[in-house]
Amino acid sequence: MKWYIDSDRPIYKQLVEQIELRIISGFYAPGDKLESVRELAMDAGVNPNTMQKSLAELERMGLVFAQRTSGRFITEDLKVIEEAKKTIAVQEIGAFLEKMKKLGLDKLEILALMEKVAEGENQNDDIKR
Amino acid sequence: MLTKLLKNEIKATGRIFLPLYGALLILTIVTKLALTFGAPDFFSDNVATNPFMEVVIGISFTLYFIAVVALSVMTLVMIIQRFYKNLFTDEGYLMFSLPVKTWELVISKLLVGLMWSAVCTLMFVVSFFILSLGSFTMMDLTQGISAAYTDYSNTFGASLNVLIFEIIIFGIVSTVASILMIYVSIAIGQLFNQHRIVASFGAYIVITIAIQIISSIVMAVFAISNLDTVISQGNDIQAMEMMHWIINVSTFLNVILCGAFYFATQYIMKNRLNLE
Amino acid sequence: MTILNAKNLTKTFGKKTALAQIDLDIPRGRIIGLLGPNGSGKSTFIKLATGLLVPTAGEITIDGVAPGVDTKSKTSYLSERTYLNGWMRVNELLAFFEDFYQDFNRIKAENMLKDLNINPNDRLKTMSKGTKEKVQLILVMSRSAELYLLDEPIGGVDPAARDYILNTIITNYKEDASVIISTHLIADIEQILDDIVFISNGEITLTSSVDEIRETHNQSVDGLFREVFKC
Repeated sequence: MKWYIDSDRPIYKQLVEQIELRIISGFYAPGDKLESVRELAMDAGVNPNTMQKSLAELERMGLVFAQRTSGRFITEDLKVIEEAKKTIAVQEIGAFLEKMKKLGLDKLEILALMEKVAEGENQNDDIKR
Repeated sequence: MLTKLLKNEIKATGRIFLPLYGALLILTIVTKLALTFGAPDFFSDNVATNPFMEVVIGISFTLYFIAVVALSVMTLVMIIQRFYKNLFTDEGYLMFSLPVKTWELVISKLLVGLMWSAVCTLMFVVSFFILSLGSFTMMDLTQGISAAYTDYSNTFGASLNVLIFEIIIFGIVSTVASILMIYVSIAIGQLFNQHRIVASFGAYIVITIAIQIISSIVMAVFAISNLDTVISQGNDIQAMEMMHWIINVSTFLNVILCGAFYFATQYIMKNRLNLE
Repeated sequence: MTILNAKNLTKTFGKKTALAQIDLDIPRGRIIGLLGPNGSGKSTFIKLATGLLVPTAGEITIDGVAPGVDTKSKTSYLSERTYLNGWMRVNELLAFFEDFYQDFNRIKAENMLKDLNINPNDRLKTMSKGTKEKVQLILVMSRSAELYLLDEPIGGVDPAARDYILNTIITNYKEDASVIISTHLIADIEQILDDIVFISNGEITLTSSVDEIRETHNQSVDGLFREVFKC
């Protein structure tokens, strides 16, 4: 997985989001050991202090826990991961609805369109198979 | 740290000087061989055995002469260049960020400069000695030296060693003073924001003039009156005393100059460093 | 814990004021960007910290001591000039650094040379400007110093080497060491900085952390810089 950092938002927040995504998507499995701060920082090409701050934030969110001597691990509490997934999904949908409203679509139209697109995707998948 | 600086300095200068010394030695030997085979009686009648050898001797003498001049010039150039280029141009960024004291930088350059001056002189002596081999015997040499000693002690009632010692000390001290004078001129030159090399030359000329004036005054005040009486009386012993006096006073003045140049250089480098 | 402190630091060259009454405190364990347009006084500040220049007024201390033998042995300085003797081979340079700096790690340096495909037997004068800069940076970063002073470290190197160099910087300093990087190529180094110091006409106009700027100004440091120093 590649790190991507855009320009205008705090770097530590972007790192938090991307590690969160890695956990939710299963790139990091529950209970996995995380690389050291320095390794992660080097991999992402960011300052180690910034990476440290992001990991502290993830700890606060309960997605990561630290063991005093052996380093940091991904939480084994699947509920927390599920929760995080839901939060992101809700956020994304909120943003999406906002955009659709700007296009002048109401709720029903949006739902209808969504169903149609989802079906199309399924058909495409069928053809591929 | 001083030894490390010295080591580095010798390495940096040795790579230039050693080949030059090698060239001088080779040319000395070539010239000597050309003389031995081409003009065996060179030192008495200066005639080559045939026109071809005359050309060979001519060429080897010219090359030899060029090597001698090149070595003398190179010694001076290196003294200037190692101080100026290594400390006051881009290379200075490295040298001045080393964890060494400023005086160690100055002394390392000075000692190595002095060393090459001494080696250069020694090489000339060795080279002339090789060239003149065969024109005299070891016997002649030792006899000549002991004769000089006897003559001297008969005339002046003192050992020649004292005079030689004084002259050597003077030689060393005045060499140090002339090297430090170059250093202080360069250090003064870098105080300017532009035309630093010109400013260095300017400083050198101004110092030279100042020393000329001061030494003439010193000599005029203390010596001239005595000199007249010495010459008019034609007393050898008094003349020699005068000689000692002049040498020693010059040595003393040079010691003062050394001190002044050294501290001025170090002060500027420590407190007024102004790398471009 | 402070590694570098400047109080009322002033430097003038003749009538020109390069730095005017700077007050700055740099803690340990940070990477700081010293950012400003050309001629703003960045290099002057770094040279004062290394002891290559002497302040006209005020003072600068490293670990509580004015620049001297002691501070030079624990600061690692990369000048904006290529200061290496052309006649030396890279190997000889390694020996030189090993000789004078006790904290120089030769193995680290040799590994980095290998990574960047630089032959230790090459002479400096046969190298391109970019390669020379790489060699210089390798030498500087192979020391385990308390303070790194990097003056325009990425100016002349290609983007691939730039990434390697930035990685070298963030992985090679001790945890209680600090790195000061002066540059005007902000976008390239922004991600590795903790804090930034904007400097303009010899005066500090802003000190902040990178994330603080992004949070309060909703733009990158590079964006803010372009706005502040708009011509």
